[in-house]
Amino acid sequence: MISSKYIPIIKIRPIIVGVVFSISLSVHAEDSAQPRDGEIVYAKICGYCHDVGIGPNIKDRQLPPEYIHYIVRRGLRAMPAFPEPYISDEELKQIGRFIY
Amino acid sequence: MGEQKFDVLPRGVNQQAFLKAVEAFRKLLGDENVLTKPEQLIAYMKIMMPVDEAEHAPSAALTATTVEQIQAIVKICNEYRIPIWTISTGRNFGYGSAAPHHRGQIILDLKKMNKILHVDPELCTALVEPGVTYQQLYDYLQAHDLPLMLSMPAPSAIAGPLGNTMDRGVGYTPYGEHFLMQCGMEVVLANGEVLRTGMGGVKGDNSWQVFKWGYGPTIDGLFTQSNYGICTKMGFWLMPRPPVYKPFSIKFDSEDDIADIVEVLRPLRIAQIIPNALVIANALWEAGGANVRRTQYYEGQGVTPDDVIERICADKGIGQWNVYAALYGTREQVAVNWQIVTDAIKALGKGAIITEEEAGDTEPFKYRAKLMQGIPNLQEFGLYNWRGGGGSMWFAPVSQARGSETSKQMRLAKKILNKYGLDYVGEFIVGWRDMHHVIDVLCDRSDPAEFKAAYACFQELLDEFERQGYAVYRVNTAFMERVAQSYGPVKRRVEHAIKRALDPNNILAPGKSGIDLETFKG
Ligand SMILES: Cc1cc2nc3c(=O)[nH]c(=O)nc-3n(C[C@H](O)[C@H](O)[C@H](O)COP(=O)(O)OP(=O)(O)OC[C@H]3O[C@@H](n4cnc5c(N)ncnc54)[C@H](O)[C@@H]3O)c2cc1C
Repeated sequence: MISSKYIPIIKIRPIIVGVVFSISLSVHAEDSAQPRDGEIVYAKICGYCHDVGIGPNIKDRQLPPEYIHYIVRRGLRAMPAFPEPYISDEELKQIGRFIY
Repeated sequence: MGEQKFDVLPRGVNQQAFLKAVEAFRKLLGDENVLTKPEQLIAYMKIMMPVDEAEHAPSAALTATTVEQIQAIVKICNEYRIPIWTISTGRNFGYGSAAPHHRGQIILDLKKMNKILHVDPELCTALVEPGVTYQQLYDYLQAHDLPLMLSMPAPSAIAGPLGNTMDRGVGYTPYGEHFLMQCGMEVVLANGEVLRTGMGGVKGDNSWQVFKWGYGPTIDGLFTQSNYGICTKMGFWLMPRPPVYKPFSIKFDSEDDIADIVEVLRPLRIAQIIPNALVIANALWEAGGANVRRTQYYEGQGVTPDDVIERICADKGIGQWNVYAALYGTREQVAVNWQIVTDAIKALGKGAIITEEEAGDTEPFKYRAKLMQGIPNLQEFGLYNWRGGGGSMWFAPVSQARGSETSKQMRLAKKILNKYGLDYVGEFIVGWRDMHHVIDVLCDRSDPAEFKAAYACFQELLDEFERQGYAVYRVNTAFMERVAQSYGPVKRRVEHAIKRALDPNNILAPGKSGIDLETFKG
């Protein structure tokens, strides 16, 4: 164990978001509170493998939502796992509806 | 919630202290941003390395979206001595994925902190938060019709510029050495202070994303591949999209050609005739990218026989070595450089040049051409279907861009891999004067014999290469301590002195690159 009498000094100060340039494009964020559309998430993530033969086709196969959830959270062989902050439970449901 | 028993705890932290910390995190972030249930944490546990997942199991995962929250998180971590492993987009496949260095660390997942803070179309710079993906940034540039080009690693669509650059990753455009193009960072230190590097500390400054060095010591590098801070903003440069882009490939028929290829390309690369981080990929890497599965050609065990590889090459139009490079510029510039390149290959007397028009819609040319132009795709995941079973570790020794060296490294790696029944699946990514010799040590994680062989093979690769004076540029979490040893004791003592100064409670990612105040005895 590390023995340290160190007391952390936490200075919480507001951070100015962005730097003001004369030609500056506005701040853009994906709104994580708002689920993204299933079709979009499919196209921007899943489709890159599942539409080109790297992963199996998953469209029009009536895959149950529980199964999709199970595989996406665990990954499978070549497929990575995606945690909740990456693709939310609600988004998974929407993907499920889109590919059903 | 108060009665929750935790299956996994951080090193040296008991249930009670951990519960108190978790309660403090919940109060700060809300229940939905503090994940402690096994079914919530399972998604952070898919490691591709052939080691037991339990060794890398997190005790919890937090998501934060503001700098202030991160400052408050490190305060709690200091109070309860909770180690925290930060990920941005968490797609560090083959290097440990999203899992922490060792069992019990809490993951700080910054995926939801995903603002593109600023893109300057004239100075060609960007400033982003950790959770921004290359796809998000690409879509943003497209939506605003900005003539700028991104450089991205092969898992482009799902990875992100901040995380990739923090681990000193590479892409394939002329801006492919990503840390070289980084300009300005904001970092939350272990004591909660917020540091801006370069020009970022100057009040009213507007040069943070255009001048890297600032004044006095330049310290951005200290925060990469390390555990001295949590990066919350990163600036980097974007390449103006050229009027003409000309990708091409050069196919070579013999494995022995690697020395000549490097000798002919090095002068072109150093002189920027070929300006991008070009690659020289071997036959099996190409097979993966062309969606070939080993079982389509070979049902046996162990190493893929040479005649099988030759058959695949013939069927798919793949060379034993395959160069991918591109020219960028005006029509006139590209025409001049194209002449120089084709003359050089003609003078070499071997190597078949393939243009985009000739390649048509075929893989792997198509995905390589996209990567060299900064267009997201995930085609390279085909590598994991070659052998199947989801196991992968990148063995990535640095080599001089010299033919005799690349040839020596390739033979050495192949001999060791083959000894363990594994294939040599490798490519050289050409920096200016160096090469990242990237070898995918692929194995079937569900096959206990292969799992064990891959681990032993990786150890031997590290040992043998070290004996010959080589070391890797980056490594997975299971081998970080081992690789740190290759770089010598003085560097390690300096790294730990900095760690003691900046993070005396050892709360930030202990173990990253072998830096851990608790285990280091030097
Ligand atoms: C098929 C395939 C091909 C690949 N090709 C490439 C390639 O071409 N080039 C390449 O570089 N890699 C490649 N990789 C490896 C890897 O997937 C990429 O490097 C990927 O970009 C890393 O994941 P990420 O961007 O999500 O970063 P993250 O996983 O978020 O971060 C990587 C590491 O950086 C540190 N870190 C992250 N964020 C912070 C922070 N905010 N503060 C402090 N430290 C932080 C952590 O240690 C973390 O583990 C490949 C992987 C696969 C599967």
